[in-house]
Amino acid sequence: MLKMTHLSKVYRTEVVETYALRDFNIDVKEGEFVAVTGPSGSGKTTFLTIAGLLETFTGGTYHLDNLDVSNLDDNARSKIRNEKIGFIFQAFNLIPDLNVFDNVEVPLRYRGMKAPERKERIMGALERVGLASRAKHYPAELSGGQQQRVAIARALAGSPRLLLADEPTGNLDTQMARGVMELLEEIHRDGATIVMVTHDPELAARAQRNVHIIDGQVVDLAEDPRFHTAYAAAAGQVRG
Amino acid sequence: MDIQPILAALRRHKAGTILIALQIALTLAIVCNALFIIHQRLSRMNEPSGVDEANIFVIQNLWGEQYSTQEALERIQEDLAALRQVPGVQDVTPSNQYPFKGGGWDNLITLKPDQRTETTDASYFAGDEHFLGALGEKLIAGRDFRPDEVQSRGLREKMNPSVAIVSKPLADKLYPHGDALGKSFYAMTSAPVTIVGIVDVLQRSDVGTWSVPYAGESMVVPIRMAMPWGGYYIVRTKPGQLTAAMRAAPKALYAENRMRMIDSKDGVLSFAEVRHRAFERDRGMAILMSIICAVLLAITAAGIVGLTSFWVGQRRRQIGVRRALGATHRDILSYFMTENLLISLAGVALGVLLTFGLNLWLVTRFTLSVLPLTYVLGGIVILLLLGQGAVFAPALRASRVPPIEATRPA
Ligand SMILES: Nc1ncnc2c1ncn2[C@@H]1O[C@H](COP(=O)(O)OP(=O)(O)O)[C@@H](O)[C@H]1O
Ligand SMILES: [Mg+2]
Repeated sequence: MLKMTHLSKVYRTEVVETYALRDFNIDVKEGEFVAVTGPSGSGKTTFLTIAGLLETFTGGTYHLDNLDVSNLDDNARSKIRNEKIGFIFQAFNLIPDLNVFDNVEVPLRYRGMKAPERKERIMGALERVGLASRAKHYPAELSGGQQQRVAIARALAGSPRLLLADEPTGNLDTQMARGVMELLEEIHRDGATIVMVTHDPELAARAQRNVHIIDGQVVDLAEDPRFHTAYAAAAGQVRG
Repeated sequence: MDIQPILAALRRHKAGTILIALQIALTLAIVCNALFIIHQRLSRMNEPSGVDEANIFVIQNLWGEQYSTQEALERIQEDLAALRQVPGVQDVTPSNQYPFKGGGWDNLITLKPDQRTETTDASYFAGDEHFLGALGEKLIAGRDFRPDEVQSRGLREKMNPSVAIVSKPLADKLYPHGDALGKSFYAMTSAPVTIVGIVDVLQRSDVGTWSVPYAGESMVVPIRMAMPWGGYYIVRTKPGQLTAAMRAAPKALYAENRMRMIDSKDGVLSFAEVRHRAFERDRGMAILMSIICAVLLAITAAGIVGLTSFWVGQRRRQIGVRRALGATHRDILSYFMTENLLISLAGVALGVLLTFGLNLWLVTRFTLSVLPLTYVLGGIVILLLLGQGAVFAPALRASRVPPIEATRPA
């Protein structure tokens, strides 16, 4: 589903060159639920934005659904984002001027979907996240957990094959985080591939596979239980 | 682009939306009416006078002493004879006024002697049998004055001409079926005046807006008028001789009789200069209105650019989110273009009401005519295009916000 080989991403400013990712290799299979962990600044978000075609990369190759995406033009990238990928951001990123219904509708309109189908999908997605009764509310009238569930509904409504989540529970308390996690697991059971960046070891443990990133490179912790415990402890200290 | 979510978002930005819509409405109202006024002024300026403009000049002659009517009439005959001797002069007539002079003589016209309210108002030209020839006027019906018809009159004597040559607009106003020739009318006297000739165009002497309803309505009567202060001579030259004749004419008059005054600056005017002076105010008004329009349009465009730029800056993150969710450059561009179109449409809808309101006020307050619909349609097109033009640059900037903007920390 998502395969990067020897991928690199360099941020150049006038004074410095930052390698956000270097010789980065990952292969996420169709239907997998992968949790990405790693210290702050290690390149997790960079990886996710490149995976989601929000940004281009500097070197190496990236195949999404067996398609080499390095030479796609902007319109083609927009189309793939719209049809294949669902995004869930740490900051929810709902559009404040639109109510819940209209927010969930945004990606469906860009797909050119007809109104009756849009309505059906929106209400279906909102029911799934338990917010059908809040369709006419504005984001500012909802709690953080509710906003994130709207964002999940927005990602779900288009039935994406790949769901990318960057610390989806980072701004939520434990209780709300569990609710979000349960939703993601449910979506996963329905067949979506999920890649989720998280700082929360408890959530990471519930994924099928953990990928650890340090300094822009992948270390597969599942193959080395010692790293796993060491990381869990370190993460616990960071969080404490 | 779907308008429902754009309208929904606009409801959350009422202040800016209403401000711009109002600005567009006001601009539409003022620009439509101003353009109409400009057009009216310009078309007045370009109206044909009916006279042979390229070859005509006018002399304003002031007597240096008080003459009796009889003396004045004799002096006039001497002057006319002298002017005919000037090289290049083709014809000359004495006159009480000339087209586009500004002000001048006019008479209320009735169709019956005892009629209470006038049928119309006509500019009143008094000249001799040379009048038509000296102005280069061509008859389209009837005949010129015969020498024996020409009366000589002092200013305070009763004038009761029995015949007149009228302009076609006057003939048509009096006799709409085109059968004016040979019919008569009344001009302030109980004696009928018979129409013996019709000329196509002979513009009025006055150029004020009050006479707009009587535009082009003129009459010529065969009267050699002796005004105590002096009078006008209208001189027509052979082609190409105007400048030389204009220089020679006052010299010839002075040589014939020194007791007179011909102003060195304004005493001898080519008809081109007459026309230029007559419409100086109209020209000034047209320029002023044009400047007002340009400034208003510029301010409105600047307002749109400013507000849209502000909104684009404010919405960078949600633009990034939209891009992340699949919006293309064109989707974002058309979002802002459509948003502007919706605001502009609301603005012009209100503006149309304001436009007709302002026009109504101008119609009742000043003698402006009712605004034709084409001006409103034209104004609407101008403002919609202005809006789309003004919004294009900020909208283009918005479309270039990268999708990665969605992940930037708030
Ligand atoms: N737009 C950018 N310009 C310059 N450097 C960047 C930019 N985005 C990320 N970086 C750098 O790339 C590295 C990885 O960042 P990021 O992927 O955000 O890490 P994480 O999400 O794991 O905290 C960091 O050193 C960060 O400073
Ligand atoms: Mg990050």
